[in-house]
Amino acid sequence: MQSDDITWSIINKSFCSFKIQTKSQKFCRNEFNLTGLCSRSSCPLANTQYATVREEKGVIYLYMRTAERAFFPAKQWEKVKLSRNFVKALQQIDENLIFWKKYFRQKCRQRLLKITQYLTRMRKIKLGRQKKLVPIQRKVDLRIKRREEKALVAARIDNAIEKQLLQRLKDGTYERIYNFPQEAFNVRIDEEEEESEIEDEEEYEEEKEEEVETDEDVEGELEKEALEDERRDEVSGDNNCRY
Amino acid sequence: MFSGHQTSAESWGTGRAVARIPRVRGGGTHRSGQGAFGNMCRGGRMFAPTKTWRRWHRKIGVNQKRYAMVSAIAATSSPALVMSKGHMIQEVPEVPLVVSDKVQELSKTKEAVLMLKKHRAWTDVLKVYKSKRFRPGKGKMRNRRRIQRRGPLIIYNKDQGLTRAFRNIPGVDTICVEKLNLLKLAPGGHVGRFCIWTESAFRKLDSLYGTWRKESRRKKNYNLPMPKMTNTDLARILKSEEIQAVLRNPK
Repeated sequence: MQSDDITWSIINKSFCSFKIQTKSQKFCRNEFNLTGLCSRSSCPLANTQYATVREEKGVIYLYMRTAERAFFPAKQWEKVKLSRNFVKALQQIDENLIFWKKYFRQKCRQRLLKITQYLTRMRKIKLGRQKKLVPIQRKVDLRIKRREEKALVAARIDNAIEKQLLQRLKDGTYERIYNFPQEAFNVRIDEEEEESEIEDEEEYEEEKEEEVETDEDVEGELEKEALEDERRDEVSGDNNCRY
Repeated sequence: MFSGHQTSAESWGTGRAVARIPRVRGGGTHRSGQGAFGNMCRGGRMFAPTKTWRRWHRKIGVNQKRYAMVSAIAATSSPALVMSKGHMIQEVPEVPLVVSDKVQELSKTKEAVLMLKKHRAWTDVLKVYKSKRFRPGKGKMRNRRRIQRRGPLIIYNKDQGLTRAFRNIPGVDTICVEKLNLLKLAPGGHVGRFCIWTESAFRKLDSLYGTWRKESRRKKNYNLPMPKMTNTDLARILKSEEIQAVLRNPK
């Protein structure tokens, strides 16, 4: 047969799967534990006659267990629903635990008090605004940052912008072209002449793309175009760009 | 020939501005001149190499072994101890759980699973599933890669297919009453494994281990160990009238 003292001496000294030990305290993870601490009088495993107060979905119950029912784990807990009125609930506890040890009556009352307090607090909080705290895992966060950087590089936004601008240029949305300083123009021309002659229109356009960003570049291209036109048309061109 | 000694190394002695540890002879390779033989050297043997002829076995008296066995069996009947071991028996209808002999005739694992579910023992098996993980440490590369919890133990009298039905369910062990194994009843040295007995197995316990009134029929001259205290509620004893009456007043 089961004896509490023996059970406690085994659980305490040897192993209990519900015990959590910190440097200063021993806690009990058992859901029926009255105080949450691991001690001789509050261990639900080492006391066959045991009572707790628990709350499920906002309703508070008194759970009791006696030695007669100790060997039927499915049926051992007797559940008494406590009144929502705090004073009445206290009376109910006293009634049900009338011949029990003072320890249980006292702790059950204290636990009932704490539970009602946190329930009212929960209701109050729900009425007000709630900030949702979202934990950010550092690993995930860093991973996302790294991927953002990579995506930025992969998107090649510069190229896309160039293409867009050149497309617009080709379509003729920019009717007028600005005048650019002469020097930069000349520099550009020299540079272009060093490169091999381009005959494909595509390559032609590609090179245009490279130079769209800055004024100088635009003018350089346009100058180059102008040169090409000259070469083709054999018309003497001005240094001013002409489109 | 053990590892670390497969060299003919000799110390260079003093006068060479090096430590006096034995060094590998010869030349032409990286290895030459390196320290050898010590537990501190790279490629040397370990301190006190472990030997296979270590005394592994211990002689323990038969009575002591039976005492342990009997205590373990007793512990399986205490729901508190079984729960403290971590088994999920919160929904089990009764502890100790004794099942009809039909279980011994089960042959399909599906039926075995159904039986466990009906008796509310399946939550314990679910716990085993959840506990499957890799062992931490070097055991992983020494053929001890995966670990999991222990589940319920089925104790039968006659195997008519039962072992094969329960074989593939993780965590579940089966054992015959005649050959009860302490390593299965108290795994890890902690008493209180969740046991499911078949009816005939349960009945056999009396003849196997005896009751205090009757000796065991199977074990010669064996009877259950006598408890040190008949009434173990020490606190209550001390508070009782009989004892309080005889105590002197506290100073």
